[in-house]
Amino acid sequence: MALAQEIQLEPVSPEALGGWAQAVLSFRLHPTLSRDVTFAGPALAMAQWGDITLGSHRYAMVLGVRPDGEAGLWVDGDRDGRITPEEAVPGLRGNGRVVWELELLAAPAGGEPYPYPLMVVWPEGRGYVYLVGGAPRRGELVVDGKRVTFVLVDEDLDGVFGTKDDFYAVDVDGDGAIHGDPDGHERFALGEAFTVGTTSFALARVAPSGSWVLLAPTAYVPPKAPLIPGHPAPDFRFSTFPDGKSLALSELKGKVVLLDFWATWCGPCMQELPHLKQVYERFQDQGFEIVGVSLDTSERDLRAVLSSQGIRWPLSFEGKRWDNPVAELYRVYQIPTSFLIDRRGVIRFRDPTGDELERAVAELLAEPRAEEPPPEAPPVALPEVRGPPKPILEVQVPTEVGVLPGGATVLAVKLANTSPYLAEEVRVLIHGSPEGITAPPLEVGDIPPFGERTADLTLTAAEGMAQGNIPITIDILYHYCIGDSCFQMSQAAGTALAIGVAPTAARRAWSPWWLLLLLGVGVVVGWFLWGRGLSGVGLVLLLVAGAALAAGVFFGQSRQAQLIGAVLCTSCVGIEEVHAALPVLSQEARAALAELVRPVHLVVFHAPWCRSCPYAISLVEQMAQASPFVQVELVDAEEEPARAEAAGVSRSGRLVIPAVLVVETSQVLFGTHHLEAQLLALLREAGR
Amino acid sequence: MRLRYLRRGTQGLGVLLAVFGVTGIGMTHLLFPGLHCYACPLAITVCPIGLMQNLIIAGTVPFYLVGAVATYGLALGRGWCGWFCPFGTVNDLLAFRKVRFRHALSPLKFLVLVGTGVAAWSLADTWFCKLCPAASLTASLPYLGLGVAQVNTPFLVHMGTLAGTLVGMALVSRFWCRYLCPMGAVLSVFNRVSLFGLRLRADRCGQCGLCVQACPMGIEPHRDINSPDCIKCGECVPVCKAGALSIGFSLPGVRGRVPLRAPGASARADRVPPHQ
Repeated sequence: MALAQEIQLEPVSPEALGGWAQAVLSFRLHPTLSRDVTFAGPALAMAQWGDITLGSHRYAMVLGVRPDGEAGLWVDGDRDGRITPEEAVPGLRGNGRVVWELELLAAPAGGEPYPYPLMVVWPEGRGYVYLVGGAPRRGELVVDGKRVTFVLVDEDLDGVFGTKDDFYAVDVDGDGAIHGDPDGHERFALGEAFTVGTTSFALARVAPSGSWVLLAPTAYVPPKAPLIPGHPAPDFRFSTFPDGKSLALSELKGKVVLLDFWATWCGPCMQELPHLKQVYERFQDQGFEIVGVSLDTSERDLRAVLSSQGIRWPLSFEGKRWDNPVAELYRVYQIPTSFLIDRRGVIRFRDPTGDELERAVAELLAEPRAEEPPPEAPPVALPEVRGPPKPILEVQVPTEVGVLPGGATVLAVKLANTSPYLAEEVRVLIHGSPEGITAPPLEVGDIPPFGERTADLTLTAAEGMAQGNIPITIDILYHYCIGDSCFQMSQAAGTALAIGVAPTAARRAWSPWWLLLLLGVGVVVGWFLWGRGLSGVGLVLLLVAGAALAAGVFFGQSRQAQLIGAVLCTSCVGIEEVHAALPVLSQEARAALAELVRPVHLVVFHAPWCRSCPYAISLVEQMAQASPFVQVELVDAEEEPARAEAAGVSRSGRLVIPAVLVVETSQVLFGTHHLEAQLLALLREAGR
Repeated sequence: MRLRYLRRGTQGLGVLLAVFGVTGIGMTHLLFPGLHCYACPLAITVCPIGLMQNLIIAGTVPFYLVGAVATYGLALGRGWCGWFCPFGTVNDLLAFRKVRFRHALSPLKFLVLVGTGVAAWSLADTWFCKLCPAASLTASLPYLGLGVAQVNTPFLVHMGTLAGTLVGMALVSRFWCRYLCPMGAVLSVFNRVSLFGLRLRADRCGQCGLCVQACPMGIEPHRDINSPDCIKCGECVPVCKAGALSIGFSLPGVRGRVPLRAPGASARADRVPPHQ
C-alpha cells in the first residue's frame, strides 16, 4: 500500500515543459478603473485600464498608445494607487502584437507571498490583452522506487494554486516528456486521480503558494489512454447513423481510418467537408475509411447535410453535442479534431487537413506493414497565444426559489453575453438529478455579442417532499467560435430550492416597453399640436424620456453601451477586411484555369484572427481543385514571420493578410477585393 | 454677432468633448448628442447611431438609447446639430454656398436611418459605420496616422464617402445635415417640441427674406419656424432688421413658436400673402 507523499515544488520555466504549462487568459481592458488609481505617466492618445489580481494583491495597469504611436504598459507594482513613469514595463513590438514581460508579487491567502512572472500580449488596437503565465511548479514523487515528475499550474492566473481551473500534470509513463495539453493523457483536473504503474493517487492538499502538494493514495483508476501518434487508438463501438448498424473501430483494422469529430454548425468543419469527400472517393477502394463523429444536436440539420453532401461513410450521432461518448473517450474539447489511424489501429497523425491529409493517407496505404511509427512533431517552443476557451456569459440566478411539494416553480436564469463572440446553441439545465426534482432542459438558442436573454427554467417537485432547502446547480452549456476553432463551454450557477415555500408569482421579466410606445405616440401627437397643448405634450415627453433613461440604467444598458463602445470596431475603420460568406469559383474562372499549362505555386498567408482569411483560402483551394497545375500552401504568417517578411507580407512588423503570393513571379495580392479576377490575371501570366 | 461667437464657443466645446480622451479619460457609458465615431482614438462617449446598430444586432430593447436620445432631442432638438455636433461644425467650416433647401430630398436622411437599422438587423453588422464620413475623419485617418490602419478597401471606401461628403458640403452648405445625417433625422422629430427654439413675432415680420438668405440649411425660418430641418443655429436672428426673430429656451407651445402659415397662427399672420 502506497503512503501519502508531500512533494516540495520549485518554480520552473514553462519553456522547459512545453506550451501546455503556460496558462493564457484573455483579459478585457476597460476605459476606466472602478477604484481610485491615478496615472502620472506621459500623455496618451489612447488609454485602457486593467486590474490584475494575484491572491490578495491587486495591481492596476494602464495600456496606452502615445501620440507618436508607441504602445506602453505601466503597472502599479508598489500598489500605492499612483502609477508613475518609473513603473513603465519595457516591451517588444512585432507581428501586430506588443509583448511585455514583468514579475509581480502574488499574495495567496494562507500562504507566503511569492514572485509571479507574467507576460502581457496585446494584439494591437484591441480592447483586450492576453495574460500569459501560470507560474508552473515542478517536483518529484517516488513510486515503486522510480522518480516521477509532477507539475502544478495556476491555470486561472489568480496567483493562488489549487483554485478553480488550476490543473496538474504527471509524467505517468516515465518517458521524460509530459503530455499536458488539454486533451493530454498526463494532464489532470484538481479533483482527478492519476495512476503510475498500479498505484493511484489524488491531490489531498495544495499549498496556496504552490510550494508543496500532498498526494494521498486512492482506489485504482485506469490510466488515461494517450492520444498521440504512435499509440493505439482507443476502441469503441457505436451505432451508425442513420441505419443503426453496430460497428466497432477495431472491426476496421486493416484499413486506414480517419476518425473525424465535426458538426454541421462548425464552419471550419463544413469547409473541410468537400475535400474530405474528395479524399474518400480517391482512396476508399484502396482501404481508406472515415468514421465521422457528429456533435450535432439537431438530427434534421444532420440529415439535411448528409443528403445534400452525399456523405457515405459511417457516422456516430448521439445528439449529445460534446457529451458524445466517443468525443469524451478522445477528450475532444474543440472541433474540428481528427485522428488518422493506420492499418494496425495505431494513431499516426493528428488533425491532418488539406494536402497533408491526402499525403498522409497515401503514405499509410502504401505501408501496410509499417513497423516504424512516424516521428512525433517537435514541441512548439513559443506559447500559442490564442483566445483560450473561457466562459463568455455572465449568469445571474436568484439565490432561492420556493416550490410546494407536487407543484412547479419558474427559475429565471439571466444570461448576458459580455463578449464580441456569438454564444451558440445555449442550453440551460439542472445539474445531476436532485431527488424528487425534475426540470426539462431549456433551449435558449444563440445569444449575440453583448446580447442578453432570460431563460425561464421550470422546476417540478415530487409529491410528499419534506420541507427544507435543497441546493441545486444550474448548468449553462453552449459553444462559441473564434477564428477557425470552436469551443465547448459549460458554466454553472448555484441556487437553492425552498421546498414547502409557495413560489412567488411567476416573475415575468419586467419590461416597460410602453414607455417607448408612449414616447412614439407623444412625438406623433406633438407633430399636430400648437399652443398650450404642445407645451403639455413636451413636458410629459420629458418625463417619459427620463423614465426610459432611468429604466435603461436600471437594466444595466448604460454598462452595455460602454462595453460596446470599448470594443474597437476594427473592420469599420479600415484595420481589417471582413468577408463572412465563402466564395464560389465562377465558371469563367474554371475555364481560365483549364488553360494553364505550367505549374503555379500559390502561398496563402493567413492568421487565426483574420476574419477574411477563410475567404481567400477557400477561393485558392477551389482553384487548386479546378486545375492540377495550381498548387497551394497555407502559411500561418504569425507562426512563420520570416517567410511573411521575405514575401513582403510583413513589413516593419506590420502584417497585412490575407495575402496570396505567386511564387513563380513573386507577386503578392493583398486582401480579398476582386481576388478571383486579380488571381486569374496573375495565374495566366505565370502559368502559360 | 454675439450669438455667433457664443455658438462658435459651444461648437468648440463640442469638438473638445468629442476628443476628451486626450485627457486620459477612457470610454464612458454616456451617449454623444451628435454624430461622433466611438472608434475615434480619443472618443469617450458612444455614438447613438453606432449603439443603435449594435443593440439591433444584440436584440436589446433600447430603453437607455431611446431615453437618452429623446432627452437630448426634447432639450435642444436639432439645436445639437447647429450648436454642438463636431461633424456639423465641419459642415459649417465649408458652408460657402447657401443654397435653397430641396424639400424633396429631406426624407433621404430618414431613409439612411431606416436603412441603417434594416442593414444591422438583416446583415448583423454595423454597415453604416463602414460608410460614415464622421468615422472616416475621426477614426480611419487618425488610425492611419497611428500606423494601426491599412490602406485597404474599407479604408478607401471611408475616404470615398468622406471625399463625397466634403464636396457636397462645399457645394451645398450643411449638405450632410440637410439630407443624409441619420442622427439629424432622429433629432428632427423632436424639433418642434423641444425647449430650445426660435420664436417669431409675426407682427414685426415684413417677409423681407433676409433670414432665408442667412440660413445655412436654406429653409424659410419665418414661414416654417422650428421645422424638422431647422438646426436652430440662430444665423437668421441678427440679420432680421425688424427684430422679429429670437432664439432661446421656452415652452414649445408659447407665442412665437407658431409659423406664419400654420393653422394656429395669428390673424395678422394669416393675412400675409403666401410665399411666391
